[in-house]
Amino acid sequence: MAESTPMPARRFDPWPATIFVMLAVLAVLFLLPTAGVVLSSLKTTHDISMGDLWSLPATLYLGNFREALSNPSVHRYLLNTLLVTLPATTGSITLGVLAGYVFAKLPFRGSNALFLVLVAGMFFPPQAILVPLFRMFNAVGLIDTLWPVIVVHTALGIPICTLLMRNFFATVPNALREAAIMEGASEWQVLTRVVLPLSLPALAVLAVLQFTWIWNDFLWPLIFTKSDDKRTIMIGIVNLKGQYSVAWGVQGALSLVASLPTLAVFLFFQRYFIKGMTMGAVKG
Amino acid sequence: MNRQNRIWRTALLAAPLAVFGLFVVWPLMSSFYYSFTNWNGFNPNYDFVGFANFGKIVTDRLFLNATINTAIWMVAAIVLPTALGLGLALLLDRKLPGARFFKSVFYLPICLSAVIVGQIWIWIYQPDWGLLNTVLRHVTGAEHNWAWLARPNTALWSVIVAWSWQQTGLSMVIYLAGLTGIPGDLLEVCEIEGASPWQRLRRVVLPLLTPSTVVVVALSVINSLKGFDILYIMTGGGPFNSSDTLAMHMYNESFAKFRMGYGSAISVVLFLIAMVVIGLYFRQLRKVDRIYG
Amino acid sequence: MAELTLDRLRKSFGSQEVIKGLDLTIADGEFVVFVGPSGCGKSTTLRMIAGLEDVTSGAVRLAGQDVTRTRPAGRGIAMVFQSYALFPHLSVADNIGFGLSLQRLPRAEIAARVRAVAETLQLGPLLERFPRELSGGQRQRVAIGRSIIRDPRVFLFDEPLSNLDAALRVQMRLEIARLHRRLRATMIYVTHDQVEAMTLADRIVVFNEGRIEQVGSPMALYERPANRFVAGFIGAPAMNFLAPGCALLAGLAVPAGAREAGIRPEHLALVAPGDGAGGSVELIERLGPETFAHLRLPDLPDTVTLRLPGDSGVEPGTAVALRALPDRVQWFDAAGRALAATRG
Repeated sequence: MAESTPMPARRFDPWPATIFVMLAVLAVLFLLPTAGVVLSSLKTTHDISMGDLWSLPATLYLGNFREALSNPSVHRYLLNTLLVTLPATTGSITLGVLAGYVFAKLPFRGSNALFLVLVAGMFFPPQAILVPLFRMFNAVGLIDTLWPVIVVHTALGIPICTLLMRNFFATVPNALREAAIMEGASEWQVLTRVVLPLSLPALAVLAVLQFTWIWNDFLWPLIFTKSDDKRTIMIGIVNLKGQYSVAWGVQGALSLVASLPTLAVFLFFQRYFIKGMTMGAVKG
Repeated sequence: MNRQNRIWRTALLAAPLAVFGLFVVWPLMSSFYYSFTNWNGFNPNYDFVGFANFGKIVTDRLFLNATINTAIWMVAAIVLPTALGLGLALLLDRKLPGARFFKSVFYLPICLSAVIVGQIWIWIYQPDWGLLNTVLRHVTGAEHNWAWLARPNTALWSVIVAWSWQQTGLSMVIYLAGLTGIPGDLLEVCEIEGASPWQRLRRVVLPLLTPSTVVVVALSVINSLKGFDILYIMTGGGPFNSSDTLAMHMYNESFAKFRMGYGSAISVVLFLIAMVVIGLYFRQLRKVDRIYG
Repeated sequence: MAELTLDRLRKSFGSQEVIKGLDLTIADGEFVVFVGPSGCGKSTTLRMIAGLEDVTSGAVRLAGQDVTRTRPAGRGIAMVFQSYALFPHLSVADNIGFGLSLQRLPRAEIAARVRAVAETLQLGPLLERFPRELSGGQRQRVAIGRSIIRDPRVFLFDEPLSNLDAALRVQMRLEIARLHRRLRATMIYVTHDQVEAMTLADRIVVFNEGRIEQVGSPMALYERPANRFVAGFIGAPAMNFLAPGCALLAGLAVPAGAREAGIRPEHLALVAPGDGAGGSVELIERLGPETFAHLRLPDLPDTVTLRLPGDSGVEPGTAVALRALPDRVQWFDAAGRALAATRG
C-alpha cells in the first residue's frame, strides 16, 4: 500500500550548514552589545570621543580598569554587595531546603495548600510590600543598613528555593529515606547525610539563580540604603555615572568589574547548573 | 513514628514559615491597610481615608496609562523571550560544531544585571554615536539621530528589546533541557508514522515541551512583574510617562512624591492583577499536570 | 502482506561491527521471533528493518522491493515499542489515529476506524483517557492499536511485554498470538525471554554477537540445536553440559570429535543405587506440576539439573543415582557445533 520513496545514499543535506550560519549570525548579534562595553573599556576617553565607541581599539588601554579599581567607593560597593549576597543566598537556600524537604518527604494534611501559598509568593510584584517593609525597618532603625536588604532577599528567595528543592527531593526515592531510618538515622541525618548529597545539582541551580539575582538587584538597596558607604555596586554604578559622565571607558570597565562575580559563579557551577536543569529540577 | 514526623515537620518548617510570614505575608497585609490611609511615609500621624485612594486611581490618567503600559510590557516581555528562546533551542538541539559556544553566548546576558544591561542599551540607542543609529546610517546612507529612548513612541519598545535580549538565554536553557527530555522513541514513532518535520514539531515536539513552557512562562511572569530595574535605569518611566508601568508609577507616588497611602493602593491593584494572572496560570497548570504528571 | 528478506546485512557503529552479515527470509504471514542475550544485535536488526537505523551494507527487501534506503514511513511497517511510546498529550483515540491524522484523512473516517480498532482491543470505553490514566496492559493495547490501524505489511515488536508484570505478560502474549491468527500478517518480535519465543513463534531466530546462530521452529531448536549456544539458550532450566568422561555418561558411545555432551533436565532419570552415577540432592525447586532437583555429582564441577514429577518426595541431602537417556544426549565438537545425532 505505501509507496516507497527511495532516499539516495548520500544526498547533500543543506540543513546543518544553514542552521550553523543562522546561529552564527544570531550569536554575533547577541554578542554585539556586550562587545561594545568590552571595547569601550579598553579605549581612552580621548579615543572614544574622537572616533566611535564601537570600533576595535588600536592599543589595549587598561587605564579605565585602573581608574575603576582604585576608586575607594568601588571597593566599598563591592564589599557591601558581597556582604548582602553571600548571607542572603545561603539563607534562602537553607530555608528552601528545610521547607522543600517537609513538602516532599513529610507531607501532611493541607501541606499542598501551604506549598501553593508559598510558591504563589514567587509571582507577586515586590512593589506590593515595599511600603510596609520600609515602615517596618524604619521603626526598628535599620534603614540605611545592609540588614533589611539581606533579610528581604532571604525571605523573597524562599518560594523559588522551596519549589526547586521540593521537586528535586521528590525524585529521591522514598526507600532511601526509609532505609536510613531503619538504620536508626534521625530525620535531620536523613536530610543532611542522605538527601542533600544527592541534591548537589539542584543546589547548584539555586546558588547560581540566587547569587545572580541578589548580586544584580537594584530595587531593594535603592529603597533601604541612603548613604554612599551603604550602597551596593549596582546602585554605585548609577551614582558614579555623574562622576564619570564623559568617561565612557571607565563606565564600561566598571560594568565589567561589577558583572565578573556573577559570570564567575555561573562558569563555576555551569556543569551542575545544566545538569540540574535537565534532571527535572525545573519541572513545575 | 507519626508523632516523630509531626515534631520534625514543625521544627523544619518553623524557620522558613516565620521568615516568609514576617517579611512577605505580613507586609502584604499591611499594604492593604495603608491603602486606606493618607500616610506620607514620615509623619507618624495619618488618617484613615476609606476608599479615597482607590477612587483617585479610577480617575488617575497616569494610572490608566501605566496599566496599559504594564499590559504591553508583560505580554511582550513574556512572548518575545519565550519565542526567541524556543527558536534558539530548536536550532541548537542537534549535533553542531560549536554548540557549547553558542549556548554560552546566548546565555551570557542573563548573568548581567538590569543596571548593566540598561547601560549597554543606552549606549546602543544613543542618538549621535549609538550603535543602532550608526548602523542605520551606514545601511541607508541617510542621516539618523533618532533618540530612541527619549521619544514617547519608541521608548517602551526599545526597553522591551533590551529586556528580550537579556531574558532569551534563560528560556533557551529551559527549552534545551525540555528537548533532551523528550523520549527518543516518540520521535521514532513520528518517523514510522510518516510525520513531516513540520507535523513533528507542531503535533509532537511543541506539545511535549509544555512542561518547559510552563516553567518558562512562570519565570517570565515573575521577572516581568519585577521588571522595574531596567525601566528605571533606561527611561525612568519617561518620556512623558510613555514607559511608565504600574511598578514605576507606584514607586514614584510612594518614594518620590511621598504619597505612601496612594502608592499602597496602587500596589494593591498591582497585586490583584498579579493574582488574576497567577489564577489563570495555576488553572493551566492543573490541566498540564493531568497529562504530564 | 509481504515477504521480507535480509541480504548480507551489516551494521557498524564507528569501527565496531555489531551486525556481522545476516541472511534471512521471512515468509508472508509468518510470526518470527528474534531471541538472544542482550547486546546480541536483535534489536538493532529490527530497527534496521524499520528504517530507524542506517544499514552499513547489505539490503532489506520487502515484497521483492529494495527498501534499504527507504524512509521508515515509506516501508509500510508498524512498530510496537518496549516503552509503548504513547504520546502523553494525546488521548487514546488520538494516539491510535495519529498516523491517519498525519495523512489528513477526513475526521469522520479516522474516528470510525479508531472505534473499530478500539473495539477489537477492548479499548472502547477508554478512548477519551490519556495514557497516564491507563494501566500497563491498557497502554500496550493502545500501542498495538496504533500499529494495526494502518494495515501495515509487517509488524515489528521490540520487547513489547518486558515492562509488564508476570500475569499480564502471559495474558498479553495470548492476545498477540490471537492478533496474529486474525490478521495473518508478517510479524517480527524481539525478546530476550525464551518462553515468549517458544510460545509465539512460527520460527525462532537465535542471535548471538551480531550473527544468527540458528533459525528454525521452536521444537526444532529445542530438540536439534545447531550448536552449544542455542542448546544452552533455549530451554528452561538450561541444558546440563557434561564432560564426555564423566560417570553419568559411562557406557555411551562418544562420537568422534565430541568435546562436550548436553542433556536436558527431563532426559535424566533417577535409578536404583548402583544402576547409575551416584550423587546427592543439593537443592529442590518445587513448581507444582513439576519439581527440579539440583544434584551434586562427585566428578562434575557444576550441579546437574533433573526434572521430577510434582509429587516427587526427594529431599535435599538425599543420596541418589541417576542415568541419562542415551538417545537424548547431544554431542558438541571443540567449536561448539552439534555433532550428528546419535538417536535411532
